[in-house]
Amino acid sequence: MTLPTGIAPWAPDTLARWNGTPTYIADEALKSTVSVAIALGRPLLVKGEPGTGKTLLARAIAEGLGLEMLTWHIKSTTRAQDGLYLYDTVARLNDARFGDRDVRDIAQYIKLGPLGEAFDRAGKDERVVLLIDEIDKADLEFPNDLLHELDAMRFRIAETGREVVAHLRPIVIITSNAEKELPDAFLRRCVFHYIDFPSEELLTRICRVHHPDIDDKLLTAALRQFIKIRTLAELRKRPSTSELIDWLAGLRLSGIDPEKLEQTVPFAGVLLKQEKDTQRLARTDLSRIGNRR
Amino acid sequence: MFAGFHSILRAAGLPVGVGEWLAVVEALDRGAIGPSMPEFYHVTRALVCRDEGDFDRFDQAFAAFFQGATLPEPVHALIHSWLDSPLEKPLLSPEELAALESYDLETLRKLYEERLKEQTERHDGGSHWIGTGGTSPFGQGGQHPTGMRVGEGASGRGQAVSMAKARRFKNYRSDIVLDTRQIAVAIRKLRRLEHKSRRLELDMDATIAATSRNGGEIEIIERPERRNQARIVLMLDAGGSMDPHVRTVEAFFSAMKQGGGLREVETYYFHNCVYGFVYTDMAMLHKKPLPDVLRSVPPHTYLVMVGDGWMAPREMFSPYGAIEYGMADEVPGIDRIAEIAAAFDRRAWLNPIPDNYWGESTIAALASLVPMFPMTVQGMIDAVATLMGQGDRRPRPVRKPLWPSGDDPFDGP
Repeated sequence: MTLPTGIAPWAPDTLARWNGTPTYIADEALKSTVSVAIALGRPLLVKGEPGTGKTLLARAIAEGLGLEMLTWHIKSTTRAQDGLYLYDTVARLNDARFGDRDVRDIAQYIKLGPLGEAFDRAGKDERVVLLIDEIDKADLEFPNDLLHELDAMRFRIAETGREVVAHLRPIVIITSNAEKELPDAFLRRCVFHYIDFPSEELLTRICRVHHPDIDDKLLTAALRQFIKIRTLAELRKRPSTSELIDWLAGLRLSGIDPEKLEQTVPFAGVLLKQEKDTQRLARTDLSRIGNRR
Repeated sequence: MFAGFHSILRAAGLPVGVGEWLAVVEALDRGAIGPSMPEFYHVTRALVCRDEGDFDRFDQAFAAFFQGATLPEPVHALIHSWLDSPLEKPLLSPEELAALESYDLETLRKLYEERLKEQTERHDGGSHWIGTGGTSPFGQGGQHPTGMRVGEGASGRGQAVSMAKARRFKNYRSDIVLDTRQIAVAIRKLRRLEHKSRRLELDMDATIAATSRNGGEIEIIERPERRNQARIVLMLDAGGSMDPHVRTVEAFFSAMKQGGGLREVETYYFHNCVYGFVYTDMAMLHKKPLPDVLRSVPPHTYLVMVGDGWMAPREMFSPYGAIEYGMADEVPGIDRIAEIAAAFDRRAWLNPIPDNYWGESTIAALASLVPMFPMTVQGMIDAVATLMGQGDRRPRPVRKPLWPSGDDPFDGP
């Protein structure tokens, strides 16, 4: 596909509709939102309770569209510049000392970061999915520092004067755990999706993907208990999908009788990680909750 | 066709600018939105909302535009906020349950509307008003057999309008809570940058200079990273009168921890006023003598105190004034505050109650020792500026009338 210079997001006729993957079950809201983010060439900001599959989403999008994925894990010390490129001055200084390489060629000491690489490859007509994971871990000003590059889809390497331009917009997925609030100017440029906790039906489908041969009775009984636990008021950390999947694995290994699940919650430690939550569960009679609904 | 939708979204309090709206138009134009209502709902929501806290407002606007529902009055939101922190529900015997009146849905609705008009404050555990943990037919977590749950809609399915009307995202609304980002940004100004870290970084200039002196033989020079050296002692009032402000204090506290990048935040708790001891935990089980705390404070430490400072005068001005058992102290509370004030050059008090109450004797006495600021974003910005020595930015004392109508309920006949 040849493209004119400048930025050309996908033309409507090549509009990719993402439909989830066999192992990543998405609801309609998520499918539409992902598709519109791709069509508009805007970054998709994904929030949601921990364990609802925010990070997995990027992998599933890459897989569903047959693209390669680059990951940029954000840490508290990450700076926006790290994502674009690094200039390895020490290596150059060292080479100058020992005369190993031609130090006049600065380009060989420039190492592109994940964002820089995504732009670079998009500039060569190779579209990638870029995951910027846990953006809220970084410094408060970090998202603002990224604004210009994400908007213009280009940046200049000051040391060599080379300009990296992404003709095709890479698909950018950003996840946040809402540890810090993100600046308004940044949010305005994103398509926002909140991964809501799945409905019972969706939850059943997700469990079946991960445990294809699970006993029906066990799954129903476990789901019922799980949903009751989630409805408990004042839980500090409500168990999420990933914890449910681990819990099911534990239940299956132990070979517990599904009927016993009515009275007890075995391996509660898999679901509830905070001591206060465990105590909260201990003083609740789960069977009473079911009767009230 | 959707121009009216835009203005309704704005009326519902969503920050929909031209940019967001153009994105919606562009998405429609590109055919990125399929010809179905649920898809239109999901896509516009993704483009217009910036936070799950906006979803509720979006749902209301969506229902208002496409189904002529009315935007609810703010009073509902207030009632919901009372229901946010529910009381544990009482356990009733079947006989007690049977004794409670049962209503059909129509009567229930009518009663709810009536009670909504009459109710003026929060109620928990009662049998009449809208509240939590009670046996009134209205509220949450209660025990009425045919009651009406206020605070969570039935979950609609399929149709976008019924999805919107279900308002599932009400719980995420955040406009009552202080914006933690703004607080964190304010607190970040509190810094003393010094090259005093254990982590080393390459000092490029010094390395080049040393290498040149060495005749081209590389000599790498490192130096400690520049780090924020600011230390803070935080003293929080965890007393009963602070309960209504718990959320504000929590927001402040988490902003302090997450955004400050401060070298050290030491936290102590007290009850109403500071006496001979402060506590290192919120439950007030572990105490530390105040003189020990003050003695171990390194120089250039900032003090931030948080509390309403509102108490009976004798709790502050009399020896043995503490009302709490085990806190009795021969030194009056106000003298203890003076000791604290003397130990910190840079100090500020954040008060969550509105400043028209600050004329109260105990609050005024505190404010004379520790500069007092309202616990709002602006108040925090001013407090940080004052702590940083950028002039005194205390709010000018204005004695506003406590009750706008002029009939002060404390003025007895």
